[in-house]
Amino acid sequence: MTGPRRRDVLRGFAAAGLGAAAGVAGGWAAADAQPSEAPAPREGEPLDARVDPHGRHQAGIARPATPQPHGVMVVVDAAELQSGAGVRAMCADLGDAITALTAAEHGSALEAVRLELPDGPGDLTVTVGIGPRLVRAVDPSLPGAEELPRFASDGELGADQVGGDILLAAYSSNPNDAEHAVRWLVDRIAGASVRWSQRLFRAPGRGTVTRNPLGFHDGIIVPRGTRELDEHVWIADGPLAGGTICVVRRLRLDAGRFRAEPEARQEEIIGRRRHDGAPLSGGEPEDEADLLAKTPDGRFVLPARSHVRAAHPSFTGSGLMLRRGYAFDDGALDDASDLRDAGLMFTCFQRELRTFVQTQHRLDETDDLMAYATPTASASFLILPGFTPERPLGDGLR
Amino acid sequence: MAAVLATTLVGCTPNPPLSAEPSEGAELVRVPEDAPTINDAIDRVAAGGMVLIGAGTYPEEVTIDKADVTLRGVDRNETVIDGGGIRSFGVFASADGVRIENLTVHSTLFYGVLVTGMHDENGPLAHGGPGYTELDPSEFPPVQRFSIDHVTAYNNGLYGIYAFNARHGSISDSYASGSADSGFYVGQCEDCDILVTGNVAERNAIGFENANASDSLTIAGNRFSGNRIGMTLISNYQEAFTPQRGNTVVGNLIAGNANGDSPAHALGGFGIGLAITGGQGNRITGNRIESNPVAGILLGNAEDIPALENEISGNVLSTNGVDAADVSATRAPASGNCFAGNTAATSTPPGLFAITCPTGAATGGGGILPSAAVPKGMSFLKVPVPPGQPGMIDVEALPSRLPATVDMPAASEFPVPDGLLLADRAAQG
Repeated sequence: MTGPRRRDVLRGFAAAGLGAAAGVAGGWAAADAQPSEAPAPREGEPLDARVDPHGRHQAGIARPATPQPHGVMVVVDAAELQSGAGVRAMCADLGDAITALTAAEHGSALEAVRLELPDGPGDLTVTVGIGPRLVRAVDPSLPGAEELPRFASDGELGADQVGGDILLAAYSSNPNDAEHAVRWLVDRIAGASVRWSQRLFRAPGRGTVTRNPLGFHDGIIVPRGTRELDEHVWIADGPLAGGTICVVRRLRLDAGRFRAEPEARQEEIIGRRRHDGAPLSGGEPEDEADLLAKTPDGRFVLPARSHVRAAHPSFTGSGLMLRRGYAFDDGALDDASDLRDAGLMFTCFQRELRTFVQTQHRLDETDDLMAYATPTASASFLILPGFTPERPLGDGLR
Repeated sequence: MAAVLATTLVGCTPNPPLSAEPSEGAELVRVPEDAPTINDAIDRVAAGGMVLIGAGTYPEEVTIDKADVTLRGVDRNETVIDGGGIRSFGVFASADGVRIENLTVHSTLFYGVLVTGMHDENGPLAHGGPGYTELDPSEFPPVQRFSIDHVTAYNNGLYGIYAFNARHGSISDSYASGSADSGFYVGQCEDCDILVTGNVAERNAIGFENANASDSLTIAGNRFSGNRIGMTLISNYQEAFTPQRGNTVVGNLIAGNANGDSPAHALGGFGIGLAITGGQGNRITGNRIESNPVAGILLGNAEDIPALENEISGNVLSTNGVDAADVSATRAPASGNCFAGNTAATSTPPGLFAITCPTGAATGGGGILPSAAVPKGMSFLKVPVPPGQPGMIDVEALPSRLPATVDMPAASEFPVPDGLLLADRAAQG
């Protein structure tokens, strides 16, 4: 492969006014992993094109490549579920129901589907995850059995805001479809009680990249293409191969206070330019941030406490996360203040929980952006491997 | 093979070459007498030979990719490789058995002198580390055997003298100042077998830095004083071979690291003598660590890698902000570190020096450091030029091939130094 040396510091010095240096150009050994194949909808594909619910992986994670504009996330507790067999049966039933919903044609014979999705499923996807308690009920050694730790930034999160047994995440272009589908599915889970639910929306974007509620580009550095997804996201082997570990953090963002900062300060906090998303170390929006570039007097060109630097996986020895966040807005938080219960439903997928955990610890220690974010829910789920009519959802839970 | 080819070529050439040199090159090539540039001289020298560089200023990036070559200046202070503030490096050695001696390198953007096996056909890939995925060190075998001796490296953007992915070598009687990262750096090696001795680092963001260089690495009898941070032993996920472990740090003077005549430390570090960040199983003994206004010895974590089982014994610590501090985060608490026979007074949290060797104990973290006003950084190109440094006496004699392993001195050869160690070579008193 060709391309600029990753982490070459030349650009930093050039940006700092020393002029272009005669330098070492050429291939960087790892650069073939550079996110270069920007995912995009196929040409001529309508936005609400049907998304296959079946395959090696569940839908709603890496497909469709550009996330649908609307969603609903529901976290359910299912206290009655105590055994591996019970968990498996519940998952298999959910899988069948999702097949019925999303594979159904317009005017489906299935009464429920006809009621819930009168115009057909469109691009509806539903993704199912199970929380650590249910994973442990199957086998405590499985991926996903480990609890997400509490973080310094978790503050006063109550017990009802942490964890949960089942995640149902539905996305669609028609805002009604995701909502109706997920309610219908929740009703099928015996003894289900909803811990929390949230309607979601997402600004238009290309692939995973969109502007977040703070107005900055998000989802730029994510694994792309089969090879990177295999390396960073999907569980590689064992009965749950093809699954992944999902972390969900409902982050209330103080966008008013953030946007009151001068633009230059906003960019320092994020580490990217506001108008096009390029890293402050220079280059194009999708170029890698140059973590080592320094000004001649020794400061980092990409600020020491910027979000881009804090979240960079190289510091924690982590893989990449596939991030697929949505915005939420439930209106004013109270009558007395300007605060809104609005922000980002941070959602990421990775093959091991450590990737998120070590990164979040680092953010709590070194990221100036965290001062604008308040978690109001936090949970991790094993996202089950994909299913087919022949291989039920949850088949690997043995 | 080369000889056969040469014979064939001579046989086919109507006019035989004028030079009587064997095709393998000359044993001694002088610059500028035999070759106009240093790189020209390296082309002409035989493996195992020497390039002897006369007094003068050489605006070159010198690459040594021929085994067992010695690159030597006739006068350490007058043989000068000048990066001009635009070139990437001064000397880069990728071959085994290279000696770099008795010269000065300054004003490069990145590295004054660099020895590394981490390179491709376009030049060095160090420093350091990958973007979003790691470089595989198995694709880049380490350089074997090197010596950097009597070299002055000043005002180089990242590192003055730098060995990365290299083993069985020494850095001795050298001097580094004005580096925005560190004056000396040894990184990414296992069973390193590297000796760092008799060097002076001052006016750098960090005097000496080790990231992920482990096992047989001895840092003895150096002066790491008058920087922002004297020295660091760190684990760093951005490079291979975490965690850092198993160095011997003995008989060094690590004092007065609060010098504003230096580029800033990018994370704001200042006033610290020795920082062990995720370092493990190091032996810190017989050093004089004084007058560092924040902390003499600092223990902390590197992400989820704790500082473990370091032995801190027989050091003299005085007039530091605190003599020792454990600032580990709760996610990676320091443990098993032990203290014996030190002359020291203060610690945070209190009681660190009461933890005896060899077993050590958890130290609790949460240390509160004294604050210090951090002066603004100085451009690396504007840091004052260092004083003249003592050169080699006999520059003509061709040295012997470097041995397969380094002759390591015993720690007992390095008693606690006084405050004047190598003071005659330092600008900062």
